[in-house]
Amino acid sequence: MTRVPLLSMRGISKHFGAVEAIAGVDLDVHAHEVVALVGDNGAGKSTLAKVISGVLSPDVGLIELDGVPVTISSPSVAHDLGIATVFQDLALCDNLDVSANLFLGREIRTAGMLDDGRMEEITRQILRDLTSRIPTARTKLSTLSAGQRQSVAIARTLIGNPRLVVLDEPTAALSVAQTAEVLTLIERLRDLGLGVILISHNMNDVRAVSDRIEVLRHGRNNGSFGATASYEAILAAITGATHYDVPAHDGWSTPR
Amino acid sequence: MTAVAGLQELFTRNLRQSGIYIAFVAIVGLFAILTNGMLLSPGNMTNIVLQYSYILILAIGMVIVIIGGHIDLSVGSVVALTGAVSAVVVIRAGQPWWVGILAALAVGLLVGAWQGFWVAYVGIPAFIVTLAGMLLFRGLTLQVLNNVSLSPFPPEYQRVAGGFLNGFLGGQGIDVFTLVIAAIAVVGYAVSQLRSRRGRIKYRQTVETMPLFVLRLVLVGAVVMAFAYQLARSRGLPIVLIILGVLVIAYTIVTTKTVFGRHVYAIGGNLSAAQLSGVKVKRINFWIFVNMGFLAAVAGVVYSSRSNGAQPAAGNMFELDAIAACFIGGASTTGGVGRVTGAMVGGLIMGVMSNGMQLMGVDQSVQQVIKGLVLLLAVAFDIFNKRRVGASR
Repeated sequence: MTRVPLLSMRGISKHFGAVEAIAGVDLDVHAHEVVALVGDNGAGKSTLAKVISGVLSPDVGLIELDGVPVTISSPSVAHDLGIATVFQDLALCDNLDVSANLFLGREIRTAGMLDDGRMEEITRQILRDLTSRIPTARTKLSTLSAGQRQSVAIARTLIGNPRLVVLDEPTAALSVAQTAEVLTLIERLRDLGLGVILISHNMNDVRAVSDRIEVLRHGRNNGSFGATASYEAILAAITGATHYDVPAHDGWSTPR
Repeated sequence: MTAVAGLQELFTRNLRQSGIYIAFVAIVGLFAILTNGMLLSPGNMTNIVLQYSYILILAIGMVIVIIGGHIDLSVGSVVALTGAVSAVVVIRAGQPWWVGILAALAVGLLVGAWQGFWVAYVGIPAFIVTLAGMLLFRGLTLQVLNNVSLSPFPPEYQRVAGGFLNGFLGGQGIDVFTLVIAAIAVVGYAVSQLRSRRGRIKYRQTVETMPLFVLRLVLVGAVVMAFAYQLARSRGLPIVLIILGVLVIAYTIVTTKTVFGRHVYAIGGNLSAAQLSGVKVKRINFWIFVNMGFLAAVAGVVYSSRSNGAQPAAGNMFELDAIAACFIGGASTTGGVGRVTGAMVGGLIMGVMSNGMQLMGVDQSVQQVIKGLVLLLAVAFDIFNKRRVGASR
């Protein structure tokens, strides 16, 4: 079966001065698929996420969306291409309400004025789709719990009907119950037909929701696993106990 | 959650927002008693409007600057510079009054663009840029004026700050026109409040009970009409009050109903979030300062008109009054929070206090001490409130 991936990245490299953050990374993501990106600190996960979301431009490498080469030069270009990102440091404004946060940077206007009524309507629609537990669209962010804020951050990605959502450490600093809520949201995103890239440290979370797990080590691919792969095998790839060749573009790679 | 909030709940929940209105009423009441009602006499109420209008105009721009997480220390010098330019054009060059106003506004916009450039595009903190601006524009004022005062302005120019609209509709010593304008304002306020209440009910948010809501409208209406009645008994509707009213309405809309305003709040609330969300931070910061320059120029015109000339030392310390007005009016020192109406009430609190103490013959030095303490208390109250909210989360 040759399905054209939603997102296809080939040989992506990015260095900061003398430091190679990522070197020749490949990544495919299909629609209806949650791909986890795991690796130790400094493995290049967040750099890769920033390349996908247009915050950073790669030095070399090819990015294709639906088989068409694209250049993601800025966050707004990424947004236009249907790529939405939830950053690790929650890009939310505490002093604004839920609806204003969802639409920040892409407000709906009627006759030059903010159309708060329309924005709230869509907000409530999205919150309903995600079956999330946010009181109302007009709740101030400062009154929400950490888990609720993460829900808002994820709901935010759904503005403008994206096809690919990148989540950078969405469950860091959340309680058990809040984490479960966010994981449910991620599954909802997949059910809505989106491609999801989940960056995480937490193996339990990753194995709970991912269809495929891609390991990065020192800025390079170091193995690709199915959701049923053993905890030990993934951990070994993360810590470098096992080395994998850069995988062939489909199918699992094999240990050297 | 019930959809209707009782008086007590409303009071405690909105203490921070309603706090300054209560404080304002209390201060007005206090000084009305201390001055044996002189504070509320027709002549004095007109006087307060004329005397503090330029501070209030500055506070409109300043609250937007502060919401954006900046500060502007240069507005006093900009008031002086724009007034000086206007005086040179009108008095020295003999141009008509409106050419002077246009020249002042143009200079204000240029000053704003200059400061906006350094803050937004070079990335120097506004504190430093405007501190430099404070010296820079004061120096330029002295240059423009050659170190001497210029006066007097022609009568048309003086009308900007000292003129009144009176007698359009007649009245026996009580100007009907003033009352009509005030009544229109009250009706407009009631309609907008009713619409916002309907909206809140539609989105199932807590609102006051109907009697309480009506009571509030009636109270506000009564205060406005009483104020207008006093003005009508004095000299009528001050032109500067119309200018101020238009600015307050326009900037309330700008801050609450436009993308620009929303983005100013976002930048002040969380700069990196705004950036990541695609808010054009540099452009917004630039226009915040251009706008401040424009409003400082309006204040400069009003002040030069009121003082009937341009002095090298004009506008000294105005920046501090404007900043104090914003913080007393509920703006947050860390940015992201504040309202135009709040800043207006904050400015009026300062104005009524100064005016009341002057009427009582309080020594200038004591006045300064009291005003300083009030500012400190207002910000302390804000921080106390934030801690309480933070603790209850």
